[in-house]
Amino acid sequence: MVVGGSRNGAGAGARCFPRHYLPPADEVREKNQVERQGGQFLDGMDLLKDVTENKRFLPTGVQGIDTLLGGGLRQGQLMEITGQSSSGKTQVCLCSAAHVAASHLGVVVYLDSSNSFSPRHIARMIDEFPISLDNEPKHVRLNKVMSSIICESIFDIFNLFEVLHQVELSLKKKVNNGSSKICLLIIDSISSLLAPIISGKYPQGRSMMLSLAMILKKLADEHNLAVLVTNHMVAGNGAPKPALGESWKTVPHVRLVFSRDRGSNICTATVLKHTLLASGRNCMKFAVPS
Amino acid sequence: MEIADLPICTSHRAKLLAAGYSSLAALSAADPPRLALDLNIEIPEAEDILKIAVCANKFKGADGPSSVIKGAQNAWDMLSDEQSRKHINTGSGDLNNILGGGIHCKEVTEIGGVPGIGKTQLGIQLAINVQIPVECGGLGGKSVYIDTEGSFMVERVYQIAEGCISDILEYFPHYQNKAPSGQEKLKPESFLADIYYFRICSYTEQIAVINYLEKFLGEHKDVRIVIIDSVTFHFRQDFDDMALRTRVLSGLSLKLMKLAKTYNLAVVLLNQVTTKFTEGSFQLTLALGDSWSHSCTNRLILYWDGNLRYAYLDKSPSLPAVSAPYAVTGKGVRDAVSSNRKRARVM
Repeated sequence: MVVGGSRNGAGAGARCFPRHYLPPADEVREKNQVERQGGQFLDGMDLLKDVTENKRFLPTGVQGIDTLLGGGLRQGQLMEITGQSSSGKTQVCLCSAAHVAASHLGVVVYLDSSNSFSPRHIARMIDEFPISLDNEPKHVRLNKVMSSIICESIFDIFNLFEVLHQVELSLKKKVNNGSSKICLLIIDSISSLLAPIISGKYPQGRSMMLSLAMILKKLADEHNLAVLVTNHMVAGNGAPKPALGESWKTVPHVRLVFSRDRGSNICTATVLKHTLLASGRNCMKFAVPS
Repeated sequence: MEIADLPICTSHRAKLLAAGYSSLAALSAADPPRLALDLNIEIPEAEDILKIAVCANKFKGADGPSSVIKGAQNAWDMLSDEQSRKHINTGSGDLNNILGGGIHCKEVTEIGGVPGIGKTQLGIQLAINVQIPVECGGLGGKSVYIDTEGSFMVERVYQIAEGCISDILEYFPHYQNKAPSGQEKLKPESFLADIYYFRICSYTEQIAVINYLEKFLGEHKDVRIVIIDSVTFHFRQDFDDMALRTRVLSGLSLKLMKLAKTYNLAVVLLNQVTTKFTEGSFQLTLALGDSWSHSCTNRLILYWDGNLRYAYLDKSPSLPAVSAPYAVTGKGVRDAVSSNRKRARVM
C-alpha cells in the first residue's frame, strides 16, 4: 500500500511530504473497533448495519442534484464534479457546504485552491435556509453555522498532504472526546493542484496523485466523511473530457459532469459513474444556486 | 500526539523509538547533531524530524473546531474580513456594479477581449486607481505592472493619472485644503512613481518575475494590485510541447493565487482571444486553452456591441453573470455616456 520509494525521489519537496504510514496490525484493529465490531473481517450484515447507521446522505441543497443522487452526497464516498469553467462546480460546492452546516450535520472542511470561497455568498444561502424551531436571533445562528465551516487555502500538493494529515489526526482525536465531527470535506479544485505535477515523463506526479486518492478514500471510509472534489475538463479527441487521465477515473465513487450554456443559469448534470445508478443516461437540469 | 503519529517515514520512526525517544517532549529537548548521532542518520534528516516535531507540538496546543487545521479560518471570520475589505474602482460605475464594487483583493481576475477593446486601458486605469488616497475612498496602495507586449504607453498613463486627479478633486473639492500632505501627493508624477514596472521579453522571464514577485511583495507591502499585460503573449509562441505549457501555466496560476491571498492584493491578468471550432462554427474564446480557463477567480470579457464597449462577467463565485457598457475616454475608463447609471442588464 505504501509507495515509499517513489516519494523519496520527489526531490526538494519530499521533506514536507508527510509519509503516510501504515499502522501496525493491532492498531488497525483497535481503530476499527471504534467504528465497527469484529476483528479482521466484516460480513455483509455488518456492512449493511454500518451503511444504514453511519453512511448518511448529506444534502447538497441543489434539488436537481439531490434527486439525481438519491439524497445527496454519501458519507464514506468520494464524489467528483467535473465540468467546463464557469459551469457551476464551485456553486454546488459552496451550496453543499452551506446546507450541511445549516442543517447541523457536522463540521465542513473547505480546501480552496482558486480563491473562490465566498463567505458572503455562503451567508446569503444560510439566511435563506428555513429556520429551525429554536428561536435564536438571526446573527447568532449565522455565527454558529458559519463557524462550523472551516476554510483553508491550498496552493500546492505538499500543503494539501500536510493539511489532510492534520485532518486525520484531529479526526482520530475527536473519536476519543466526541465533540462535533467533520462530515464533509470539499476540495475545490483538486485538478488545479495536480495539474502542475502530472505529465507522462515523470512518474512521481502520478504516484502522488494516487497516494492522494488513497488518503482521501481512507479518510472517507474510516471516519465517515463525504469527500467532494472538483475537476476540470481538457480537450479530448473531439469532445472535452475530464482531466487527470485514466488512472484517476477509477478513484471517485460518483462522477458527475456539469455543463451550462453560455448566458443561461440552467446547468445540466450527467452521471458519468455511480456505484448504484445506471450511468450516462441519468441527467438532470438545475438552476445555479444564487 | 505521540511519536507514532508523527508524519515521518517508518524507518525514522522505528529508529526514534529504538533510541529511546518515546514522547514529543523528549524530542523537543534534542538538537539536530545529537539526534543525528543517536539515530545514525544525516544531520539534515534530523533537522527535518525536529521541524515536524515542533509543528506537531504547536498543533497539540490548539483546540476547538477551528483547530482541525492549523491556521485555517472559519467562514464567520472570513465574512467579517470580507465585509471590511475595499475594492479597486475601475473608473466606470456600471463596471463596478457588475463586479460587486470593483476589482476584489485576494482574488485573481482575468480580463479578456479582442484587440483594441481597451484591456490595456483598463489595466492602466486600475494601476492608477489603486493609488486613490484612503480619504477619497480608495486603497492608497501601489501597483506592479508586468508588461509582456510593450503596450504600456507612459504618456497615456500620465493622461489617465491627470484624469483621475481631476475626478478626485471634483468629488472631494476640499481634499487639497484638508490634507496638507495631499498637496504634493496629488500629482500625476507621484502616481507614476508608485507604479513598479517590469518589461518581460520571453516566457522564461515571465516565470522568473512571477517567482521573484514573492520576495518583491514581501519587501513592498503596500502593493495592492499586480497587473500582467498580457499573460498570453509569450505562451502563444515558442511552445512545442503543449502538455508542458499546460503544466507551467497551471503552476503559474497557483503561484498567483497564493500571492493574491498572502499579500492581500488583487491580481489582474489580461488575456487575448482566439478562435475555437465547436459545434460546427468558429467562436471567439480566450486564449491558452481549457485548463487555463479554470485558473482565475473572476473572468470579465470585453466585447463590442455596435459602437458601444460592453463588459460581461463570465465567471464569478458570488455574482450573477451580467453585462454593462463602459467607455474609454481621454481621461481613461469611464461610464458610457449614452447609458444611464442603472443599466446593468441581466443577460
